[in-house]
This record gives sequence, structure tokens and C-alpha cells, in this order.
Amino acid sequence: MDFKLSDDQEALVSALEKIAGAFAGKPPEFHGFALTSAELERALEDGDYFNIATVPEWGPIGAAMAVERLARTPYAAEIALSMLVRPHLPGNAPRPVALVEHGRPGRFVAGARTVLVLQGNSIDIVHTKPADTEAVASLFAYPMGRLKHGISGARLPERETAIVRQWLQVANAAEISGLLQAAVTSTVEHISQRRQFGRPLGTFQALRHRMAECAVLAGGVKWLALKAAATADPADAALAAYHAKDSAVRIAYEAHQMLAAMGMTLEHPLHLWTYRLKALISELGGREGQASSVADHCFNTGSEGPNAAPWEDRARARQ
Amino acid sequence: MEFEWDNAQRSFRTTVKEFLCAHLPEAWEALAQGPGTEWQSTFSKQFCAQLAAAGLLVPHWPARWGGRDADPWVAFILAEEMWAAGEPRGGQYMNVNWIGPTLMRFGSEAQQARFIPPMAQGRTLWCQGFSEPESGSDLASLRTRAEKSGAQYRITGQKIWTSYAGEADTCFLLARTSAGKNGISVFLVPMESPGITVRSIPSLIGDGDIHEVFFDSVQVGSESLLGAEGQAWDIARTALSLERVGIPRFAFAIRALHRAVGALQRARRFGPGAIERAAQARAACEAARFYSYDIVDRRRHGLPIGAEANAARYSTVMAERLVAEFVVEFVPEALSGGDQMLLAHHQRAIVAGIASGAAEIQLNIIATELLGLPREPR
Repeated sequence: MDFKLSDDQEALVSALEKIAGAFAGKPPEFHGFALTSAELERALEDGDYFNIATVPEWGPIGAAMAVERLARTPYAAEIALSMLVRPHLPGNAPRPVALVEHGRPGRFVAGARTVLVLQGNSIDIVHTKPADTEAVASLFAYPMGRLKHGISGARLPERETAIVRQWLQVANAAEISGLLQAAVTSTVEHISQRRQFGRPLGTFQALRHRMAECAVLAGGVKWLALKAAATADPADAALAAYHAKDSAVRIAYEAHQMLAAMGMTLEHPLHLWTYRLKALISELGGREGQASSVADHCFNTGSEGPNAAPWEDRARARQ
Repeated sequence: MEFEWDNAQRSFRTTVKEFLCAHLPEAWEALAQGPGTEWQSTFSKQFCAQLAAAGLLVPHWPARWGGRDADPWVAFILAEEMWAAGEPRGGQYMNVNWIGPTLMRFGSEAQQARFIPPMAQGRTLWCQGFSEPESGSDLASLRTRAEKSGAQYRITGQKIWTSYAGEADTCFLLARTSAGKNGISVFLVPMESPGITVRSIPSLIGDGDIHEVFFDSVQVGSESLLGAEGQAWDIARTALSLERVGIPRFAFAIRALHRAVGALQRARRFGPGAIERAAQARAACEAARFYSYDIVDRRRHGLPIGAEANAARYSTVMAERLVAEFVVEFVPEALSGGDQMLLAHHQRAIVAGIASGAAEIQLNIIATELLGLPREPR
């Protein structure tokens, strides 16, 4: 265990900071749901950031850091699947990459070049052309789209399916982590400035405690997402995705409560994080799906867990 | 950034596990009926002496005081394994975690020579005299007085909810030497001093754990004063910062959760509702684990530790609560004699959000220092 960033990771963090800094604010004239930017896409393509997981000095943890940091901007960009899942797809799958579950509309499907179709326990990979997909209007703050009927792809073998599912969980957790940080920061800023009853809202203990709890949850999500990327362990991926979704449900609610009517307007950027969170909460079977995954990988191992007591092992051995 | 244990860390954990395996009686969980019982205190003195002999009691202390200057990870791995095992060191974990290190920092040479070696040898138990009937979270309002008269202090007052007081040899006591927040001092008071009366308070935590301690004109010499008069706030802050992530509660909680899930699986009662709640609790424990590891890592790298320690503590409180509630809802028989270990976990879990500063105090600190929210008007 050593959480100090390496020199290479420090360099990555500062480069990401520069890119994210250029896309930190919502354009004042934008009053929509999905804020996208061709310039952001270009900056990431030009810097070859979509391949950082394959660079040994950075690896998947570098990619998770990038996903987390870039998700904090108000811009929705297809980053997480490209950075964290695409390296595990067969061949050189073209990006953008999107996910379709149960035939529902999915994020970035319109315009995607690779679509992962989840059906039951299997995953089909579809390499799409623009005519294969269509955009869908949505409340989610992502460009949403659907796959047209009759489009089919190649089924992934079972082993690869498990690996891709695992990295979908890591991508989901890392992106939620960045969105949670941004939602907490935005809410803290609001309740520090907004005055009611003659003082800032943030001085009321009822709100302070709830925000502090949200901050602790968000911090935990970040730890678990980074760990899951670093260890490539399916149990860690399941735990990260569950904790991310569970914390997102709570924090999205709290942030809107604290911004109240201000957060209902499209002038304020809060929805650009919370309505991305809502889309991510539902993916991969929601909390229920992740709970099953935790049960499979943490509770179905026949062991008493990482803190099993040695004298219990001794007693079992004697039985 | 590295999330795997290195070989030395893995090997140290194995050594600790092997030690536990060799030295804990098989009926350990049935015998340990509460952390403050006479049986536990007697057992802990024998167990800690064996730990000391094996170089496993205070490996992170300086060599001068019986340690080997091991890094903070060693101390934390040790603490994790001990807590996961139900803390066979009993109240002596406090010596190792914060009383010893606090004396090393603030104690006089004479105090260090008197008090530290018995701690390093595992043959002494301390209690902390902080809370009072009218001073819990608002510790600065405490009323126990230490009046100076020549080279002596006369201590009068009452402490309450004092863990281990019934068996302790020495009390790490906060008492008022003058008015105001800066008028509080720390005294190291032998519990056999005339004028001290200890009464056990029946509690949810287990037999003999918490107490009332009365100080009726207890005379101590000025050599009992730790640091300078009025320095208690500095000293207590250091002590509490060491204590805040001192107990790896998540380790016992994870073990309890896996045990409860195992019982449900064997009974074919691990259905969708239980699965989701178990996943929630397990993920919260993992988050608490890495919050605590972050603090250990900061210590190791000499980085400043602020409200991150409070966040780590709060994260642990949430995890403990989820596991305890899981057991109550899905394995309630554990609290009626069905499983001594799960019962012990439940008894200890209630303490998580209360001892060492209530969870709500942690939230206030996180709100102000970590989030930068404006303070509440007073």
C-alpha cells in the first residue's frame, strides 16, 4: 500500500487539470440537458488520452483518475468506456463506445462506432454506422440514443464477457465518482453563499451534517473506484459499482434539496452532474445488479472473508 | 499509487495471524464477555506480555522504548488483526495507540521512565478520565478541579462513562487548573490513590466496561502533571488524532458480516433483500478501510492530517451501523445467545459513533474544515 502518486501519475494529473480547467464552466447561454463539446473530444484525441490505460506508466488506474477528473466538468463526453472498457474489447474497437441494456436508450448510442448490447448474461458487440442508430430526447444529461431494430453483432465468449462486465463496473464507478465530487462542490458553493433567515444556509447544522455525510460518501466512492482500477479484481469492481450507485442515489437527492428552486432551473449547472448520475445509477442492473455481483464475488467464495479469524480456521481444519 | 501489500507487509500480517492462532484459547470468544471484565484484563496482561516478548506489542515505537521504529503500516496491520480477533489486548490497545506516544511527546523524563516501560512490556492498563456528567461532547466545559497547594495538587470531581476504570492502574485525567478552555491540564493519576472511588455502570457494551470515577480530594504530586498547566487541549488533540483511526473497526465488522451471511447461506435464507443490504454494508466497510488506510499512508509520508481523519472516522461509523443493523434484521438469533462473536460485534458497534468524539462532532469538523462551509453562529 502506498498512495503517493508516482512522477508519471503527477504529470498525468496536472495535464488533466489543464484540460479540465478549460472546460470548467457551463456556457451561460446553454440551457439544455446534455452539454457536449467537440473541442474537448479533440483535445483528448490529440493527446491520445483515450489510450492511457495501455500505457504502462499510467495503466487502468491512470485511466480511472482521468475519467474521475473529466467527469467533474459540466460536459458530457464518452470517456469512461473508451478509456476503461475499450482496451478489453476484441480487435481495435473504434470509439465512441456505448452500452445498450434491454433495448433501452443508452448514453452516446447515436454516433457510437461500437455498441455493447447487454442481454441477460451475454454481451454482443455491434460495430455501428451512423444509419444504425438514432438520437432520443431525454431528461438525462447525456446525449441519448437507441439502436435501430434488426442490428445485430458478435457475441463475446463467456470469459471475455466477465472481464468486460467488470470493467463496465469500474468505468461506471469512476465516472460516478467525478460527478459526485462536482455535485458536492457545487452544492457547497451554493449553501455557502445563499442567505436565508439572515445567514448563509451552510451555517445551519441540519444542512451541514447532511453535506458532510455526502462528502464522506463521495470520498469513499473515489477510493473504491481507484482501487478497483488498480487491482483488476472482480470483487473490488462490484464493491466500487455498488457503493457508487448507492451514494449517487443519496447525493443526487441531497444536492437538489439544498439548491431547492435554484437547482430546478437549467441556468444552474447542477443538473449537468445529477442528471448524469441518474443515468449511471440505472446502468448494469442498478443497485440490485451490483448487489448480486458483490454476492457472487465476495460472499460466494467459501471463505470467511478477508478478516477471517485464524483460530476459526484451526477449528475448521480439525473438524 | 499502489493498492497491493508488499511482501514485508504480507509476511508481517501472517506473523500476527500465526501468533493469534498460537496464543488465543479455542474458547476465546465465549470467554471474552466484555472488554472491561476482570477476566479480560487478566488475560490481556498475559497476552500482551507474550506479544511484547515476540516483538509484536509496540513494533512502531522507537527502539529506545522497546519498539523497532517500524512504519505506521506495521502498527495498523497489527491493529487490524487484533481488532478483527475481538481485541485480545483489551484496554491495552490504548497504551499502544496513543497513551504511550503521547507520553513520548509531552512527558518528562521521569514520567517516561516510570510509565512507558510497563506499557511496552504489556503489564499495565490505563483508563482515560475525560467525560463528565455535564461535559460529554462539550469537553471544554469540564469541572473536575486540580487545586495547587505547594508541590501538590488536590483533585476533586467526577468522571463518567470511563472505560476500563475498574481494572486500570493509571488514569489519563483531564482536570481544570484555572478557568476557561486553556485552563485544563492533564494528570497521570495512579488509580490506587486514596480518595478515588470507582463504580461500574451496567451497560449495553458488556460487563465492567464503563464506570463512574469519583475524585474526592485526591492528592497527587506535581510530577503527575503532564506537560504544562493549561496544555491539555494540545495534548488531548494529539491523543484524539491518534485515536480517531486507532481502532480498525471495519475489520471486525467485515468478519461479522461474512459470518452473518454464512449463517444465512447455510440456512438458505440469503435472499435478494439480504443480498442488497449485505452488499451495501460490505461496500461501506471497504470504503471505511481505505479512508483509514489513507490516514496511515499520510502518517507514513509525513503529510499533514486534518479533517481527513474525521472523515475516516465517520466512514467507519456508517459501516459499523450497516453491519450491526444487518445482523439485527437478518440474524437476530445472534443477539439471543446464537453467536457470541456477532453479539460482541453488536455490543461494540454502538460505541463507534460515540466514543472519541460523537459522530455529529465529526460531521461539524468535516463541514467546516474539509468542505469549507461557514461556521454555525454561537
